[in-house]
Amino acid sequence: MKEKSPVEMGYELLFGPGHPGSGNFSVKLRLDGEKIISARADPGYLHRGFEKLMEYRTPMQNAVLSDRICVFEPLAWNLVHAEAVDKLMDIEIPERAKYIRVIMAELSRIQSHLIWYGSMSAGTGFDTGFKLAFGYRDYILDIFEAVTGGRLYPAGYICPGGVRRDIPNGIEKKILWVLDKADKMKFLERIENPFLRSRMKGIGLLKTEDAIRLGATGPVLRSSGMKSDVRKDDPYEVYGGLDFEVPSLRDGDAYSRYLIGIREIEESIGIIKHALKSMPEGRLKTIKPGFTRIPEGEAYVRNEVARGEACIHMVSDGSEKPYRCKIRGPSLLHMIPVLEYLLKGQQIADVPAIYWSLNPCPADTDR
Amino acid sequence: MNERSIIDSIEKNFGKMKCIHEERKIWINSESKELINLCRYIKELGFEHLSAISVTDFIEKGEYELCYFLWSYEHRISLILKVRTGRKTPVMDSVSGIWDEAQIHEREIHELFGVEFRGNQDLSELFLEEWKLGPPFRKDFDWRDHVRRKYYKKGARERSYFEGGA
Repeated sequence: MKEKSPVEMGYELLFGPGHPGSGNFSVKLRLDGEKIISARADPGYLHRGFEKLMEYRTPMQNAVLSDRICVFEPLAWNLVHAEAVDKLMDIEIPERAKYIRVIMAELSRIQSHLIWYGSMSAGTGFDTGFKLAFGYRDYILDIFEAVTGGRLYPAGYICPGGVRRDIPNGIEKKILWVLDKADKMKFLERIENPFLRSRMKGIGLLKTEDAIRLGATGPVLRSSGMKSDVRKDDPYEVYGGLDFEVPSLRDGDAYSRYLIGIREIEESIGIIKHALKSMPEGRLKTIKPGFTRIPEGEAYVRNEVARGEACIHMVSDGSEKPYRCKIRGPSLLHMIPVLEYLLKGQQIADVPAIYWSLNPCPADTDR
Repeated sequence: MNERSIIDSIEKNFGKMKCIHEERKIWINSESKELINLCRYIKELGFEHLSAISVTDFIEKGEYELCYFLWSYEHRISLILKVRTGRKTPVMDSVSGIWDEAQIHEREIHELFGVEFRGNQDLSELFLEEWKLGPPFRKDFDWRDHVRRKYYKKGARERSYFEGGA
């Protein structure tokens, strides 16, 4: 039998984990010239085993641990964890704490979308967008520093029972000032950079039925034409009483995923302004559960984080530590089945555009 | 359809089951024998999205409890389906033929808990690499002991760091 030549066999290319555009994640690409025959995601470079670690810690310790589930939006994951414990322990949260939680989670969503926007721009060679987005994000980090004490990791600011402390005096004014700054991101949608359009338009098409079938949630699902948002469909905290729209786009290509982030930033700005107006006055008093026992039972909570649907299923056997804590991150589905599906048949030069358009977070893929 | 009518229509076809419902959530305890038929029926009811699959290791009872978390975009209701299986040789029918997204969830559960899913095409390693010690998320896997044995030399913990111990 005649041996196959290397060209006939195709060759394998590793996109990551050393690639500057991939970040702790690897995709094995099988190539035929420049064309990708098949792609296989290879996660696990950030696997820290949070589900197991949480079984050895009390809820207040886990609140700090939950920061690290997703590097880009620690506050949102704080909220998911805190809600699960609240539900298990049947804690009544003060109304003001609920508003603070929503404001912080939405600020976290804006800064996460800015990272997304920035890295998507950087991945496709639009450096102006990258620098602008990361510049605006820094203003939000200033607020995080003033409220939680940490620029990136809030050390479990949103904890079971409410929040760790009230927001400082006069921060509302600063938040509004920052929101006006972030609102200027809108002009980026109108820029219509021809270079960017040609790199992203029509690339990585994801139809609605495929998005549902492969388990896409959040902005990826919404940019494929499905109007679905946990904040609207299954409201938690005070989202039911706040006024906002769920943006969705029809095309389902990388360019529409590029645009939907900006639309969502606009909505988040509206939510924060509304929440600041209707937040009850007065100082906040929270009762934080210390080392008390968690009542026997189980709780399942769903939240909308910046990347999509986040769930925690917590089981307790009546001791002070959770018996089991299952964490469902949105990126696991986006980065393995959806990415593998989208990369098939594409050109090698389009990999960064598709990869970054899915808003990847290797940290919450691996957990 | 609301929570009550969904439970009614499932019980009409599959007999009485232990069901609890609260606002926008239904919890159902089922038998593992009729899992596939039940899942097919539930998907037809409009539960298109399988959010996650979770396993709880009840070591004292010698059982694994698998939870399937479903969401219906149409009815806006969560459905949590619970099935129990033996802990010694955990085997379960795969639902990857019903929901495509189940494939990756089952692969994760197989790696971390050692549940064998009949009918799943790809149960290869996901996060771990060349792991031979058995499923690491089981209750009887002592990770502290594993770390001690793998990363510390014998007696290294007793010696101080400055003496060149660890």
